[in-house]
Amino acid sequence: MSRTVEPLINDEYTGGPPTKRVLAHLQEKRRTGMKIAGVYCGYAPTELILAMGIAPATLCAFSNATIEAAETVLPANLCPLIKSSYGFIITDTCPFYGLSDAVIGETTCDGKKKMFELITDLKPTWIMDLPQVPDQEEAVANWAAMIRKLQRFLETTFGAHATDDAIEAAIRDINRRNAMMREVFEFPAGRPTVVGWQEIYDLTFLAQGSSGKEMEPILAEALWKLEQRRDNGYAYRPADTPRVMVTGCPVGGDAEKVFRIIEEAGGVIVALDACSGFKPYMTDTAEGTGDPVRALAERYLKIPCSCMTPNARRLTEMTRLIEKFRPDAVIDIVLQACHSFNIESHKVGEHVGRYHGLPFLKIVTDFSLSDVEQVRTRVEALLESC
Amino acid sequence: MRAGGLDIGSRTVKFVVIEDGRTVLARKALTSHDPLEAARTLIAGIQYDVIVATGYGRHLLKEHLDCPVISEIKAFALGAKAIHAPCRVILDIGGQDTKAICLNESGEMAKFEMNDKCAAGTGRFLEIMANALNYTLEEFPKAALSAEHAEKINSMCTVFAESEVISLTARGASRSDVALGIHKAIVSRSTALLKRIAPSGEVFFAGGVALNECIRALIAEDLNRPVVVPPDPQGVGAFGAALHAQKVGAATGGNNETVLR
Repeated sequence: MSRTVEPLINDEYTGGPPTKRVLAHLQEKRRTGMKIAGVYCGYAPTELILAMGIAPATLCAFSNATIEAAETVLPANLCPLIKSSYGFIITDTCPFYGLSDAVIGETTCDGKKKMFELITDLKPTWIMDLPQVPDQEEAVANWAAMIRKLQRFLETTFGAHATDDAIEAAIRDINRRNAMMREVFEFPAGRPTVVGWQEIYDLTFLAQGSSGKEMEPILAEALWKLEQRRDNGYAYRPADTPRVMVTGCPVGGDAEKVFRIIEEAGGVIVALDACSGFKPYMTDTAEGTGDPVRALAERYLKIPCSCMTPNARRLTEMTRLIEKFRPDAVIDIVLQACHSFNIESHKVGEHVGRYHGLPFLKIVTDFSLSDVEQVRTRVEALLESC
Repeated sequence: MRAGGLDIGSRTVKFVVIEDGRTVLARKALTSHDPLEAARTLIAGIQYDVIVATGYGRHLLKEHLDCPVISEIKAFALGAKAIHAPCRVILDIGGQDTKAICLNESGEMAKFEMNDKCAAGTGRFLEIMANALNYTLEEFPKAALSAEHAEKINSMCTVFAESEVISLTARGASRSDVALGIHKAIVSRSTALLKRIAPSGEVFFAGGVALNECIRALIAEDLNRPVVVPPDPQGVGAFGAALHAQKVGAATGGNNETVLR
């Protein structure tokens, strides 16, 4: 940074892992008697969970440390995110899992589905059957039915209830939150950017399980600080720094090594196109439809995850992001053994190269540090071509 | 102006000095467990005005010698283009990496592909397999070229392939047939990587593995495309780094000659 500026979120957790801050928020909710539902994925309908007075908690999935324990049961050649999640549970080291009264999973991929079978007897667990051909006409009705079933599961497990009006109110609240998040994303879209990936990532991580009402003061303060930075001519990196858009699998914890390498190689990350980044905030749910659960089903099926087929939305969304954030290169991060993101990377590379004329790099990695130098060579070569 | 290029690879350190674009000195040494010492010995007593580092050890060197660094992908692109002007496609098989690089009309890197993070199908793989068959690196390609037919090697993992080689020889397979099988396995893996980014056109083949005459012959046969091998395929990266150093020297007008601490 050219000079120090006040962090967007300035509290005792600033500078540390964003999980600590979220954990403190959840413990506070717990003290007030709120129930907590552990979630693994962006398909878990936050609005419904919040409308029932339950707090969603994103469960731990990004540490290399728990993989060794996981591999006593799971095959080594499996996605590190699934291995890490499972390792956290069997070693009892995920505080979010410890706080959770129930766990919600979705049938996004084979690895997760089968891993969930190994944890269902530990806590009340509900698996949502996710339609994977989202444009078929039955898909929305089926997913709406699954959301209703989740509602009934939460009713029986927690004795919690939500009227359709309460769900509608939660939709409006989350739409408001998402709109504010998109206002935040306007700042890395600027050239030079006044904010780095870490601060944006911290906000996306915090907002994920939070309501609009909770996020409003935090985001209002962050937006005010971002405006100050811009008006004061602050630059997080010089204007001629190559701008990178990162896409692909969710990234966090030990996988953030790739983000650090990009910065060390002289790039600046301006867009995080993943479920761990912008994706949860980019689409709104239709308001006032009279059928809030169907509206939720429609909105969630628009998440362009590689588990969907065909997943043309990923490319149209990507074009929208490229036009807005004007990256000089696109890096697709694929977690080892994530077949759907790995195969889809070919289409993404073709789209980025042919349609946008941008250099593209696919990085297949895991949570270990063993490939740091190999990744560095690839990233440096990519940035040299910008 | 004398411009130096130092390529600290995983197995070999290469040092090239150029004057007016012409190589005036080229040296090599094994990287060993102490790449910094290997580099230090290699450049000791050599006069140069400006130096640029590349290869896996480039950042290590940067900590000890205040010099610019470029990735080996850029270094190979620069070197290959200068050695062979029409060059558009480069295949570099080094000690632990295989790279396929595609250049645009102006000779800049347009696309590249690299092998996975393990050393399967690289120079190190060849070394270990030669060792498993008790051949020297010089004997190995000759034996493969003398083979009647190739024993198919199915595993590309260095450890598994070594077990496979041992079980083949235990079954009485001819040593040279196994040698040819190993060479073919490396070639099919490398050409698959190459075809992914450059389906047609002449190939500039560089890196230490290009010194192996059997691999050279098999690559030309497998691709059925013209394959050009420079006189010093191992030194292309160091030469490219030296070319970049020359540009840096011209731009700064000064010299960055420094003592390697």
